[in-house]
This record gives sequence, structure tokens and C-alpha cells, in this order.
Amino acid sequence: MFKKSWIFQLWLLVFIVIPIGLMLLSAVSTFSVLNPTSLEFGFRALEVLRSEVFLRALMQSLKFAGYVTGLGLLIGYPVAYLLARSKSPYKRIWVMALIVPVWSNMLLRIIAFEKLFYPESILNMFGISLDLIGTDFAIVIGMVSIYLPFMIFPIYAVLEKLDPSVLEAAYDLYASPFKRFVHVVLPLSYGGIISGVLMTALPAMTTFALPERLSGGQLLLIGNLIQNYVMRTGRIDLASSMAILLLVVMVIFYRTLLKFDAEGETLV
Amino acid sequence: MHLIDIKNVKKGFNDTLALDDVSFYVRENEFVTLLGPSGCGKTTLLRLIGGFEDLDEGAIELNGHSLVDIPPYDRAINTVFQQYALFPHLNVFNNVAFGLKMKKLPKDVIEDKVMRSLAQVRLKGLENRRIDQLSGGQKQRVAMARAIVNEPKVLLLDEPLAALDLKLRQEMQYELKDLQRRLGITFIYVTHDQEEALTMSDTIVVMNEGKILQIGTPVDIYNEPETKFVAFFIGESNIIPGKMLADYQVEFEDHQYVCVDHGFRKNQKVNVVIRPEDITLKKTKGQLNGIVDAVTFKGVHYEIIVYVGKREYIIHSIYPKVKGDKVSLHFDPEAIHVMKDV
Ligand SMILES: Nc1ncnc2c1ncn2[C@@H]1O[C@H](COP(=O)(O)OP(=O)(O)OP(=O)(O)O)[C@@H](O)[C@H]1O
Ligand SMILES: [Mg+2]
Repeated sequence: MFKKSWIFQLWLLVFIVIPIGLMLLSAVSTFSVLNPTSLEFGFRALEVLRSEVFLRALMQSLKFAGYVTGLGLLIGYPVAYLLARSKSPYKRIWVMALIVPVWSNMLLRIIAFEKLFYPESILNMFGISLDLIGTDFAIVIGMVSIYLPFMIFPIYAVLEKLDPSVLEAAYDLYASPFKRFVHVVLPLSYGGIISGVLMTALPAMTTFALPERLSGGQLLLIGNLIQNYVMRTGRIDLASSMAILLLVVMVIFYRTLLKFDAEGETLV
Repeated sequence: MHLIDIKNVKKGFNDTLALDDVSFYVRENEFVTLLGPSGCGKTTLLRLIGGFEDLDEGAIELNGHSLVDIPPYDRAINTVFQQYALFPHLNVFNNVAFGLKMKKLPKDVIEDKVMRSLAQVRLKGLENRRIDQLSGGQKQRVAMARAIVNEPKVLLLDEPLAALDLKLRQEMQYELKDLQRRLGITFIYVTHDQEEALTMSDTIVVMNEGKILQIGTPVDIYNEPETKFVAFFIGESNIIPGKMLADYQVEFEDHQYVCVDHGFRKNQKVNVVIRPEDITLKKTKGQLNGIVDAVTFKGVHYEIIVYVGKREYIIHSIYPKVKGDKVSLHFDPEAIHVMKDV
């Protein structure tokens, strides 16, 4: 017991507490890993959080994360439901078909979409020519297809575990199939829905490769801003300020979601 | 007037025939028990009545109307599931209220009925408890309350007490029977515990391998088993091959005995059943003489194994014996139950 918690705490310290501490420090001082001795505190870097470019990126990120999560839920829940209820002998193959794409490199899949979305693409073979690069549609399609499995699996896992006799009990107690869904199946899958929403919305908030490729470099989401500040202009302080704000937004989002989970225990 | 009629029901799963031409009826307010060994088709029969399986052949009728095309949520029948199947996301009150809410009863009526049925199963004060904070016995009561609150015509119970320990089980047997009498609900009760069946039922339906072997009152089934299987299943028994010499005259172990059975052919081969508690042992010689082989104390009585020749007899007696004692076996004509050798 003691040993385990010791390892866990060390892990927490090295991979969470120290990095976040360094980020905080970079945001409010001139701290740099390369030159740690010259330390001057100031809140100038936080000014970036009021800049127009940041606020626009934040709104865009929220917008796309919202689309992707909403659409993901709309598509993902029925898919998970059908999959979990299915008695087909090919069920495992369907589940595999959803897993396999996740194994392939995400960047590779993004680039594949990019190629298809330009007017000149392999689709010309079929007489199709798309011109989607730079549209919101392209971003949403790309994001949904990449994050959908992360919506489906937590929901599927919960639905799969539903006790069949509980479902029969609902029928026994005069619930029609629709009422049973509303009063029993849906409440019992809240945990899966919340996990799915978290696993979709949070990565969607921070993605940077996908918007860059599928917008032809025009769309700036928070992920792109942070990446630019770190990789191109070396402004770690500005990047840290934004990352910390993002962290706060996501923690608030997470806490709010947990409140919706009536029992607060379905999600581990 | 029969409340429920089961007519020539057949049901198979892939290659197993779970129910093979099953017929019986249930009267209003009757406590009917389906009794049989594991895998004999009890649950399947109950699920057919509840509407959770479709039958292959035959008919199931409630008040003379076929139930075949009626889904479970439209049947005036409720089930107490073996593992209770309570709704884990609802508290005790809302579990019990579920059926009434689905039927859209007014709120105050629901509140009233729920509280009344919680009182009936002695769960008052627990209405706000979460399901995972209940003991096994309490869950069982919630499952009961959740079913009876709907005042169904028929209540189906699939081994509702199987998960409870012996003492609680006996307590609940008494309570269930009492509840059934007070509410006037017809019970169809599944168990593989013969003692439970004997104490609670008005009628017992003994099943084996998808078939009904015998239907009767507990006393009939116990005293007049029609087949060896029923005799064995209903409790420890001595079953001895013999033949009917004439009405009221049976021969076994090379001796003639007066009995109360008649209507057999002359010299028809039969099996004779004598219950262990119907045999008394004497030290003097008699017609059947044997040697005590083993004595086990069972609390209320001693279980004594006696060998008569090569045949083993089991006897229940309140008087102990010692291994090696020479004894004779005695029984009244009423203790001799003759059944056809099938
Ligand atoms: N869904 C199913 N699919 C395949 N076979 C089944 C199914 N349900 C029951 N059976 C088979 O039908 C037969 C009767 O099963 P059933 O569950 O009715 O027995 P039971 O009398 O309730 O037994 P137990 O006392 O163990 O609960 C068994 O041979 C069982 O294997
Ligand atoms: Mg069963």
C-alpha cells in the first residue's frame, strides 16, 4: 500500500507537478531552463491572454471542439448502442474495424485527408474533385473521423456491461422500448458518455497538426498558437500563459461534466 | 376458471429441448411451485409466461386470452428476478415506483402505494437508500416491493431466496407465503429446493428434463410419488422393487404386506416407497431383519442406515442405535406407497 502510493506520488511529481510548476514559472517570470539564474518576476506575459489573436483562437478552438463533440456523440452513441446490442457473429470484426485506424499514425491519417481534400487527388479517378481545404467542413470531418473511436469505445464499454436482467426488469415494469431507453439505458450510460465527451473534447481543444494541414495553414487554434510561440518565436512565456489558461478551462469543463453524472461514480 | 393456462408448450434452444409438451393450469390466488433439478426448464417456463422468450409450439393464456403476441410491458404479470435486477441508478423509492411511473399514475398515488408496499416488506425508512447500500435480504425485499406495488394478477418468482443464507431464507419463506395470502396475488414460484416447495406451495409441479412428471398438493407429492424420480427428488426415500399380488396386497423382500393401494394388475411389477421417518426399529425379530451400519446425528433425529441382506434402508429415529445392532424394521400399511415401475 505504502510502496504503491510512493511510486504514484513520484510519478505525479516528475510528470505533472514539476512540468506545470515550470510552466507557471515561465508565465510569470523571465525564467528559462537555459539560463535559470536570471530570474525576474512580472505578469507581462499574461497580457497575451487579452490579445485579439489569442481570444479568436480560443473561440475557434471552443467552436470546433463543440462541433466535434456534439457530432461525435450524435454518431457515436447509436453506433456504440447497435454494436453493444448486436448478436451478430461478426461483432468482433466490427469492433476491430473501429480499433485498427486508431493504431495507424494520426499525422498520416490527417495528411491522407489533406490529399483527398485538394481538387487534384486520387479521387479524380472516380470523377470526383473536392475543394475543401480551408473550409470549416474539412476541419470538422477530419476531427470527427479521428476522434470518433474515442467517443464510441467508452460508451460501448458501458453499454456492453449493462446487466440484461435489468433491461428485462424494465420491460417487466411496463417500460416500452423507448421509455426503457430514456429511463434506464441512457442514465446507466452517463458514465460512458462523460468519458467519451472528455476523450473527444479535450484533445480537440489542443490539436494543432490537423487544423494546420486541413486549413492550408490559415486556421489558428490554440494548439497552433502555442506551437508557433514555442517552435517559431521561442516565446515560452507566452506559450506557457496560454497553456495554463487552457488547463484551467479544461479543468472547469471536467468538473462541470462530473456534476452531471448523477452518481459521480460511474466514471473512474 | 383458470387464471393461467399452459397448453402443450414446447421450447427448444438450438439442439436442446428445454420444454417438451408442458401443460398445466393455475387458479386464482394459488401458490404454484415449479420444482425440479438444475437445467430442467423451470426458468425457461417462467420466462415464457413473463414474455421474455417466444414459444415454439403451444399456447399460454391469461384469463382465457392468449399472451403470445403481447410484449412483457403489456402483461399484467410481474417478475421477481433471481439476482433481483434492481435499477442501480435509482434509490429504493424510485426502484419501487418505477412501474407506477411508467403507467403514469398521479404523483401522490405513487407516493402512497410505494410507501404502503415498502411497509408490507418491512423496509420503511430505507426509501432513500442507494441500492448498493442494501444487504442481500433487503435487496430481495425491494425486488418484492417493486413487483407487488403494481398489484399484478400473477407474480413470477425465480428462486427468489436462493442467494440468502439458511436462516434468512426460512424467515423469508414464511414472509412470502404470508404476503401472498394477504395480497391475494397468484404466485408461480421456481425453486429446486424440495423443502421450500413443500412448505410454501398449494400445488407443486415436479419437472425433469423439460417434462412435467407430477402435479399435486405437497402432501400428495410427498406421500404418493408416481415415479421413482419424484420419490427421490422429494426427499430421502427407501424404494424397493416388488409386485402387487392383489388389491391392498403387495409383496417385496419375499414377504407379503397389507397396503392401501389398489387398481394394479395381478402380479404387476411395482416400486414400493417407504419414507425414512415411517419406519420404526425394534430389537426383537420381525419380518424384515437387518444390521445397523451407520448412525449420524442430524439435530432433531438420528439417521440410521440398516442393511437388510444387501439392501440399504435409511431410517429416521429419535432413538440412537449403535453400529452392529441387530434390528427389525416395522411400518404401518399406510406407510407403504406403491407406484408403477416405469
Ligand atoms: N438462452 C439459452 N440458450 C441456449 N440454451 C438455453 C438457454 N436458456 C436455457 N437453455 C437450456 O435449456 C435448458 C433449461 O434451462 P433452464 O434455465 O430453464 O433450467 P432451470 O430449470 O431454470 O435450471 P436452474 O435450476 O439451474 O436454474 C437447459 O438445458 C439450458 O441449458
Ligand atoms: Mg433457473
